[in-house]
Amino acid sequence: MKILKKRTFAILLIALLVIGFNSCDDSTAHQETTASCCSTDKETQSDEPVSLSDMSVYHLDGDWHDQNGKQLALKDFAGKPVVLTMFFTHCEYACPLLVHDMKGVEEQLDADMEYTFVLVSFDDKRDTPERLKSYADSQGVGENWVFLHGDANQIKALSILLNINYEALENGQFAHSNRKLVLDQGGAIVFQQDGLQTKPEPVVKALLDLI
Amino acid sequence: MKIIGFYKLLIIGLLCLPGLKSSGQQQDMAFIEGGTYKPFVKGDKEEVPVNAFWMDKKAVTNTDYQRFVEANPQWSKENAKRIFADSNYLYHWPDSGLSQHSGPPDGAPVVNVSWFAAKAYCEWQNKRLPKLHEWEFVARAFPKNDVSADSLQRIISDWYSNRLKHDFLVGSVYQNTYGVWDMHGLVWEWVYDFNSIVMNNDGRNQEEMPEGLFCGSASLNANDATDYAAFVRFAFRTSLKGNYNLRKLGFRCAK
Repeated sequence: MKILKKRTFAILLIALLVIGFNSCDDSTAHQETTASCCSTDKETQSDEPVSLSDMSVYHLDGDWHDQNGKQLALKDFAGKPVVLTMFFTHCEYACPLLVHDMKGVEEQLDADMEYTFVLVSFDDKRDTPERLKSYADSQGVGENWVFLHGDANQIKALSILLNINYEALENGQFAHSNRKLVLDQGGAIVFQQDGLQTKPEPVVKALLDLI
Repeated sequence: MKIIGFYKLLIIGLLCLPGLKSSGQQQDMAFIEGGTYKPFVKGDKEEVPVNAFWMDKKAVTNTDYQRFVEANPQWSKENAKRIFADSNYLYHWPDSGLSQHSGPPDGAPVVNVSWFAAKAYCEWQNKRLPKLHEWEFVARAFPKNDVSADSLQRIISDWYSNRLKHDFLVGSVYQNTYGVWDMHGLVWEWVYDFNSIVMNNDGRNQEEMPEGLFCGSASLNANDATDYAAFVRFAFRTSLKGNYNLRKLGFRCAK
């Protein structure tokens, strides 16, 4: 029965896209765009300062604060590969697993490798830099882990840029996608992994490919 | 006598100034007194509160949008960053920009605009995109001149089946009881939090879709065009990405 419903949904969705909006052209173009995002990797690797491709997440303006209270912009992460995810510290189930997955990736990386792990909170009210600091300390993570606090409008824009869905629930929790993204030195998305308790190898490989 | 007359005029003029200013807003935007409604995805269980807000009476037109692009060249067809607006951005505009002799009619709703572009436009106007619940709340209102039970359903089903006759200009389909035009029947519209419908993408059930959509879809029946339309809108929103530009997707702002 459930499968039947899923099929009904899928058929409706396809019918909607193909017939209703006559958007075959659109979806093809989207694929092309996605493909072109990754072909620019090579250009952004070597030169310093890093030039940002048209598909760089770092074009998103706005000031954030890290767990040390330092103000920064996303483009300040340019120059090193980044593993990016969105989470919140009051999360009871999914986020500890997300952080656990990130640690699993780190365990497989050489100590001398340069990269940054960026975790952006959905929770603009409660995840203040102070709260993020105590969370970082409790997790025992290194200096290369950056926890970010921003205002609600920035968080929304970033989530939409990363195609991460979320909804604030009445009990203070957030329903959200569990997605880890690998960004190249110029901030273009080169890899993404959905889910929890995922294998670290694909993320590690995506990172190694950037060096 | 003349002097008194002059002062009288001056005083009247000064008194009218703030009035003119606020009536300017009232001309373009409708005040929506808040309330609660049952969103489609929550089934019959939950009422969601909607606070009072202002909503643009009409969708943003090509002419409106052209003014925005002129003031914000980073949003021109050639300058917009692909991460914010894919290659279909303003597809229906000539490459050189909109002119009087080419392109779509002035009063047509602007389409082929991404969420980021729509958001930037509204912020430029000191407004914002309406939230999903705000949009749905206003969309439930009946046509002003026809509050019979099935009037809204007829507009929607005529639209979906391409039977709706109108000239594709904003303010041409119907005005609802709030004074807001064309919530159905003209174009689909971006909402601020279109990504608030959470797919459960936990690795263990990749196929899982939002439960509400299935509860809703299971209760669909041919007589309930309003719910069917809501289902289609929610399904449509889950298929969007922020940099998509579609030829039937426009927007309006809120405050």
